[in-house]
Amino acid sequence: MRRRTFVGAVGGTATIGLAGCLTQENGEGADSNGGDDATGDTDAATDDGTDGTDEETLEGTVTVATYESMVDGTDPAGPWLKDEFGATYPNAELEWTVPEQGLTEYVQRAQNGAGIEADVYLGANIDDLVNIDDNLEAGGLFTELDVERIERADRIRDGLDMGDPHGRVLAYDTGYISLVYDETVIDEPDTFEDLTEPAYEDALLAQNAQTSDPGQAFLLWTIDAFGEDGYLEYWAQLQENGVRVLDSWTDSYDGAYMNEERPMVVSYSTDQVFANMAGHDLSRHQLAFPNDQGYANPEGMAIFEGAEQLDLAYAFLDFALSNDAQAEIAQRNVQFPAVESEYVDLDEEFDEYAHEPPEAVTVGYDELRGNLDGWVDDWARQFASQ
Amino acid sequence: MTELRLEGVSKRYGTDDDETVALAGVDLTVRDGEFFTLVGPSGCGKTTTLRTIAGFETPTEGTVAFDGEAMTAVPPEDRDIGIVFQSYALFPHMSVAENVGYGLEFRDPPDGRSVDDRVAELLELVDLSGMGERAPDQLSGGQQQRVALARALAPAPDLLLLDEPLSALDAQLRESLRLQLKRIQSTLDITTVYVTHDQEEALAISDRLAVMSAGTVEQVGPPQEIYHEPATRFVAEFVGDNTVFDGRVSETTADGARVAVGDATFDLPALPPGTETVSFCLRPGTLTRDADRNRVTVAVDTCEFLGERVRVHGRWNGTAIVLGLESMPPETVTVGFAPEDVHVLETS
Amino acid sequence: MSRRDRFRGAVDRLSAVGDRVAAVSRLYTAVGSLRSWLEGHALAVLGIGTAAVLAVMLYLPVGVVFVNAGFEDGVPTFTHVADVLTDPFYFGFLADIFAEPFAIGSHLASLVGWVGAISISLSLEYPLSDLGIPLPVPWLGLETPGLRQGLFGFTAYQAGLSTIASVALGLPAAYVLANYEFRGRRTLRSLTILPFVLPGIMVAVGFYAMFGQAGTLNSLLGAVGLGPFAFVETSPLAIVILAHAFYNAPLVARITVAAWESVDRRAVETARSLGASERRAFRDVVVPQLAPAVLTGALLTFIFTFMTFPIVLALGGLQLATVEVWIYDRIQRLDYAEAATLAVLETILSLGLTYAYLRYESAQTGFSQAASPPPKEALFPDLQTALSPRRLAIVGYGLVTLVVFVGPLASLVVGSVTDGGGFTLDHYAFLLERQLEGESFQTLPLPAIRNSLLFAVATLAIAVPMGVVVSVLTARAGRLGTVVDTLAMVPLAVSGIVFGIGLLQGLVFGISLPGGWRFQVTGAVAIVVAHAVAAYPFVTRNVSPLLSGLDPAMVESARALGASRYRALLDVELPLVASGIVAGAAFAFAISIGEFSSTVILASGGESYTMPVAVERYLGRRSGPAIAMGTILLVVTAASFVVVDRVGGRFER
Repeated sequence: MRRRTFVGAVGGTATIGLAGCLTQENGEGADSNGGDDATGDTDAATDDGTDGTDEETLEGTVTVATYESMVDGTDPAGPWLKDEFGATYPNAELEWTVPEQGLTEYVQRAQNGAGIEADVYLGANIDDLVNIDDNLEAGGLFTELDVERIERADRIRDGLDMGDPHGRVLAYDTGYISLVYDETVIDEPDTFEDLTEPAYEDALLAQNAQTSDPGQAFLLWTIDAFGEDGYLEYWAQLQENGVRVLDSWTDSYDGAYMNEERPMVVSYSTDQVFANMAGHDLSRHQLAFPNDQGYANPEGMAIFEGAEQLDLAYAFLDFALSNDAQAEIAQRNVQFPAVESEYVDLDEEFDEYAHEPPEAVTVGYDELRGNLDGWVDDWARQFASQ
Repeated sequence: MTELRLEGVSKRYGTDDDETVALAGVDLTVRDGEFFTLVGPSGCGKTTTLRTIAGFETPTEGTVAFDGEAMTAVPPEDRDIGIVFQSYALFPHMSVAENVGYGLEFRDPPDGRSVDDRVAELLELVDLSGMGERAPDQLSGGQQQRVALARALAPAPDLLLLDEPLSALDAQLRESLRLQLKRIQSTLDITTVYVTHDQEEALAISDRLAVMSAGTVEQVGPPQEIYHEPATRFVAEFVGDNTVFDGRVSETTADGARVAVGDATFDLPALPPGTETVSFCLRPGTLTRDADRNRVTVAVDTCEFLGERVRVHGRWNGTAIVLGLESMPPETVTVGFAPEDVHVLETS
Repeated sequence: MSRRDRFRGAVDRLSAVGDRVAAVSRLYTAVGSLRSWLEGHALAVLGIGTAAVLAVMLYLPVGVVFVNAGFEDGVPTFTHVADVLTDPFYFGFLADIFAEPFAIGSHLASLVGWVGAISISLSLEYPLSDLGIPLPVPWLGLETPGLRQGLFGFTAYQAGLSTIASVALGLPAAYVLANYEFRGRRTLRSLTILPFVLPGIMVAVGFYAMFGQAGTLNSLLGAVGLGPFAFVETSPLAIVILAHAFYNAPLVARITVAAWESVDRRAVETARSLGASERRAFRDVVVPQLAPAVLTGALLTFIFTFMTFPIVLALGGLQLATVEVWIYDRIQRLDYAEAATLAVLETILSLGLTYAYLRYESAQTGFSQAASPPPKEALFPDLQTALSPRRLAIVGYGLVTLVVFVGPLASLVVGSVTDGGGFTLDHYAFLLERQLEGESFQTLPLPAIRNSLLFAVATLAIAVPMGVVVSVLTARAGRLGTVVDTLAMVPLAVSGIVFGIGLLQGLVFGISLPGGWRFQVTGAVAIVVAHAVAAYPFVTRNVSPLLSGLDPAMVESARALGASRYRALLDVELPLVASGIVAGAAFAFAISIGEFSSTVILASGGESYTMPVAVERYLGRRSGPAIAMGTILLVVTAASFVVVDRVGGRFER
């Protein structure tokens, strides 16, 4: 019941007010930051060494919206990012906000004309962008990033370009969907076709693509493999072979898989990291990459249109790609860093247990746009038809 | 005390299309200190009238006034009434004393007495001294009803309303309670409206009574008048077991009339000039075996032995006849009546 | 002394506070007269308050979403409804009938065709041959051709089965709790509420941990050389129904126990004296008095399981998808028109059932003033009795409840102290560490516990008066009362997802008002009120039957004695329906503790999160911390229910 400010207008003013000084700093920063061209040098301290004068001029509070496990859950990266960002920019502060409905909440806010108080969104998938563009106007919600202002943007690995024609997001980490199986019960499946063989009858647990991220990723992976004309037929065969599609990753993994209902589950390629932490027998945590592929699910960060703290927002994006931030995000979230390996130092244990697929596949923005809802709906209807 | 007046009170339920009329223009005056009874068959509107007086029903039309003061907008709790229901409606979660004392939370006991004194006084009045700590369900039906009466009287209301208070009790208890009720009422000299379907009870207890039927008042008067001079056929039939005949005047003489009822002809007292048809009634006791005039032979249906008399229900010529005889009759009995015992109900 | 004294004691304490306030306000005579006005109009004020709360916290948010079903760009349209009704995916064979309602000839033809395709066969079967018993049984085979149920049909089907299972599992519990005395009976009765507050995901994990191939049950069976059995895999539908019974059988039991304990012993004794056997007396006297309670439980179960989510998909899989799953999906994809249409149809169905039930209920009530409930027998007085068939049946039932109810809960508790390496306190260490070192933007365990309890108590304070007011206003209002009563049940009949999204769009985002103002409601107060809105129907459903069973002459006697309608309610009616209020209050408490979907939306970005929200937020790639939090939720709820029932019991008798 309080009066809202007109976010757009105020944000705009702030941008103009601060833009001038920042350009200058950026130039200075680039000069002084020798790490950028010394590509072979992975010494984090040197690389991220920032000279205090640049950072001190930025002040204010940047509000970053993200998903729950970034701030809650076990050993989340959120607190570290907040502290470290505060240390890097002593006059600035990072504030986390967790929208209950994820990015859709902001889409709804935009639809309803309700204000958006966040500056940055951390955790946008490609299909989120499609969702935005299907429901708002194309290229909406987020501002097109001025990559020039993000020095470390070019550290991002090839293949993690999220393919947004409107240039709104940069990847900060990625995960790979793969199969996790129990080698004492079944052999590693080599191809998708194997999964329809009798050897894998009643073996696979998957998730509902309507509600679950890995579920949707696995569905898109099959669409990538069999095409939009072939995937339903493939799923019909999977269904014939007894695939079980549960609601969420937790149901299928912590519920069904861990209680040995079935010997195979759609999960993440970082599975062994957790299994190792919890002291589980790794024979039940073997990874399979059918067709030698894994489905890449890069997570991106973006800046809201009309962000009040545009400079800090850019600063945060750059910060998130720094060595330490990349390592912390990767290890705490148990995801893979978005930057090339020379820009990040990971613990040996992480390297040992987190596996990357030989080939990463992703259904890109252009293909998803206008198709995603239909694909998922057709699939779900085929499954749920009584 | 209080005089109660109802003027043109109507009560209708439902919509215009589907309307039930519970009361159709009731006019009544209950005098200060009077024991007034509303009597009639079920559905006649007597209870609705009582509930309207209490304020539980709002009349569709008309006014209810206590001592000339309109009560229509006054909620029940502000009307200074006491009410006793057939179901006792004691509060089962309160002791007897708490029940009796409940009204004293809202109205101070009369004459500056304490609540405890007043409760004790009322319990004594209804012969339940020492029962105060009992729970209501530990009492007999008659005791419970006396508690209900004590509860209603405790705040010394202006008006006592009794809705079939004795109907749930057995006959013997009913009569003794009736006497006790009457005694208490006349001691306190409280204006009382009593609702019953039992005409005998109504005649026995009331100063005056109103006979109701189909939402209207048929007749108001003291018991003797109602009994001996019923104003309408309904009253005649409902009160005092009258037998009603409908006849056609066949001959008029100076001191009487001859009236044809079915294929019989009766001698009646003089009727107003020009009368063509007449309805008249006879109380059971006026049809006797000894009478030598107006004799009819009644086929006996049932007999009720009432001690000093036998009430006989029979029929003659399609008319239901009620007789009060000294002894059990055989299958048929021939009785007659004297013209002077005839009470003429209506003529045309 | 009497029940009424205790009741009045509480009220007096409240009004003592009021008296002090009044003493101050005596300076202002106007305020003094306001107070007496308030007492006289208390019911009206409460009624208006209830209506206002419902308007803001229920009808506004639900309306914001529902309007999408009937409007397209502000123009009324029937196309969304028509689209859904005629889609065989949603309505199966009925879709054809909805599509062409007047093509009766062709519908009849297909009916004839369907009936014609039914085949009946008689054969001898050996159903027990698996167990080595070659017992031939004449088997009547009935084969009906497949009939497409559609999503609505299947949803109703599984809800019907779940209802039957819940009643079947709940009634014996009610029988034992109402008729036998044993150590811990009251505590056990208090604990029956536990499943009710558990987040769906915890139930799913608990069920897998109990019934999974490597679950507790198979471990136990394995110890005696049986199994392992693939309980979940063999029949996902059966497991889903069992999980629904896990949630709802306690509900049926609780409501029925209350009714059973108020059966008038004298009526049973009268029947026995008239020559009825114990069994006949039970059938003719007890059953009719229990029927409304059992049907209330069944109705609520049906409505809940009709709108089940996400337990069906968590245990059963997408093949068992229900309407609510599709609503969630449509909402996620921001297709409000279809989501709203599905939700409206769901609500109409639930309300239709509710109305039918309430008509029945109002036809049932007579005046019963049960003051003498049946005495309770000792459960196991001696060895001989303990071996009687009835006691053995109770023992058998006890074993079933151990498996179905205690099993998943216990497995959950076990799960909170184990990981791959066996016993561990890591998960609790996580909670402790989070509590001690967590940051302000993180979810901390203690505030979650505190909020849950505070909100639950505050919910009681709002939901009980609301529920009672609705009961009082509808109890004797005839058919109109039934309609109002039905509408008062809307919180139960509206999809939780739709309610949540309505709260988000209507209250969290706010509604634009002229002059650049926005009407917004969030935070703790909004959560409590939302809980109260969700909870008060339970109070109403528990209180209404008792209230309409009271002799109206009692209230009229009180009023004739000078009590206002409000005082008569307070002094006479409420003490007499205390058992219903306590039962309703317990549910209200449980609803508040367990409520998730609207809490999570209203708590977003603030510090008003509750235990279920914390469970959900701790749920990441490692479920241990969430399970530990779920266990704490169980323990806190169990403890508070023992307290709630003890405190409530003092009012009851």
